[in-house]
Amino acid sequence: MTLAPTSRSGVSTSRRRPSAARHQVLWTIIFLAPAIVALLALRLAPSGQAIASSVFKAFPGGLVPPTFAGLDNYVALFGDPRFVDTVVRTLVFNVIINPLQIFVALLLAVLLVQRIPLDGVWRTLLFIPVTIPIVGSSVAWGAALGPDGPINTLLEAMGGNPQPFFTSPTQALAGIVVIASWIGIGYWMMFLISGLQAIPGELYEAARLDRAGPIRTFFSITIPMLRRPLLFVLVADTVSNFVLFVPIQMLTDGGPQDSTTLLMFDAYRTTYEYGSRNLGAAEVVILTAIMLFFVLLQFRLLREEKEKK
Amino acid sequence: MSAAMLADTVASATSERARPGRTRSNSARVALTACAVFAAMVFGLPAAWILIGSFRTNSDLVSSWSSPTWSILVPAQVTLENYVDLWNGGFGLALLNSAVVCTASVLVGVAVSAAAAYPLSVYRFRGRNAIFAIIVVSFMMPFEAIAIPLAQQFQDWGLANTLVGLILPGIGNGLAIFYLRQHFLGIPGSYREAAMLDGASEPRILFSLYLPMSGPALTNAALLIFLGQWTAYLWPLLVVSDNSLQVAPVALAQTFGQHAASYSENFAGAVLLSLVPAISLFVLQRFFGRLTIGSGEK
Repeated sequence: MTLAPTSRSGVSTSRRRPSAARHQVLWTIIFLAPAIVALLALRLAPSGQAIASSVFKAFPGGLVPPTFAGLDNYVALFGDPRFVDTVVRTLVFNVIINPLQIFVALLLAVLLVQRIPLDGVWRTLLFIPVTIPIVGSSVAWGAALGPDGPINTLLEAMGGNPQPFFTSPTQALAGIVVIASWIGIGYWMMFLISGLQAIPGELYEAARLDRAGPIRTFFSITIPMLRRPLLFVLVADTVSNFVLFVPIQMLTDGGPQDSTTLLMFDAYRTTYEYGSRNLGAAEVVILTAIMLFFVLLQFRLLREEKEKK
Repeated sequence: MSAAMLADTVASATSERARPGRTRSNSARVALTACAVFAAMVFGLPAAWILIGSFRTNSDLVSSWSSPTWSILVPAQVTLENYVDLWNGGFGLALLNSAVVCTASVLVGVAVSAAAAYPLSVYRFRGRNAIFAIIVVSFMMPFEAIAIPLAQQFQDWGLANTLVGLILPGIGNGLAIFYLRQHFLGIPGSYREAAMLDGASEPRILFSLYLPMSGPALTNAALLIFLGQWTAYLWPLLVVSDNSLQVAPVALAQTFGQHAASYSENFAGAVLLSLVPAISLFVLQRFFGRLTIGSGEK
């Protein structure tokens, strides 16, 4: 034992403090290295790879080495009316589906936090589609909305006409919205229910004493208090819908007449079916940029509202 | 993306709790209940339809769609043949592949995440903020957005058509690290100091002190990685072309796309795919409802 002043961590460790500090650095590196390497190589590097690949040009087949092409791929993409249509379609799809899903999820969340009998049962039923992988729900809705499927039979029984759904250029994208929403709404609803339950009951008590009606209470208390969970579900929902892929690839293959070709699917098709890696990489970059723009926009909107308060 | 929070959220959302509601008139309550029942039907019935359909013969299922009667939901006879046919038709192998990929991803992924979360929660060191930035950006970016360029890298690295190629993307999970770190921060530093006084090494402290106190957080991280891999579709589609290595979701989609596809058999496949996530989420909902870390610090 030395007579060195005792450290916070006690006498026995003070003697080998320099080596303990070195140990700490060593362990930090050992512990962190696998995760950081994995994240860099598997999550971050591919984005850089996509950007790098998007400024090159190669012939499909890859026999000739790719040559530097600057922004040629981007110019070619935006000069192609089919691609511009795809971008516009993706934007319209997201501008519709995200508010729609969150609105219905909010409505259901508010409904299910009321005092109603067996509320846990209704919540569980609404949550069940979430547990079905999207491949499974695409199978189900592909069958249900098929030309001879049960939905058309029920439509006819109620006096309507059978609909083409996924085989119609005007209805197919709506069918994709149905599949994504059947899963998504219950999922986002759960987050909103937790958010609603975190609102202190006293606030509602106060509103009641002030004789505020249910609508007034909703807009003056529920919505402002729910801002954080609402932003979270809106951002996460937007991100997930921008990369929606499975039902399109399984059920419509982007058709009929490109009506369900969204950017994510188009990037896949360009890269793998048309074999244009560099053009596909440019599409991935454009998709990521659009997605980031929307995510930042949503954060921005929230922050401004906060400052106003 | 947010399955880690999900189990917690499901737990709190489905648990009974005093709610800010007021006493309403009976008619309002009936109307609200009717709305809830209607919504539950809209979301629940298609799921019930798949489940029931998976126990019908294909001809019984398909013919039931032509008339608007209860036969749409009520089978003429109950059969297990869809499940038997699936198993014999190669879907069993696909499920096995999925199970192997998921198990390996969870084991390696949780170990890697817990190891990374530990120094991030107990040490302050230079570069920590940069590492946080990497972690946060990595889970803000949806995997699908990088899957296509990454798959091409895997091709170049010779990882296409390998189990390793399927497993690797599951192990780098920023959200699992983030989540475990949050949990580790809640473990009192005095425990760690006491262990160090006893001469415990850092790995020893992680394994014998932190991990045993982190059951729910580890389960949550495992669930996050597991669900991501179990439902993965785009990634296996891109890196695996060999049918004997294919995972269950892609195998199901491929049989669904065939002309001679049996709807009832595909429904059975969808049920098998859903079973594991459904059971784990609903079981963990109880688990998370009860378990909270108790701090013994005085």
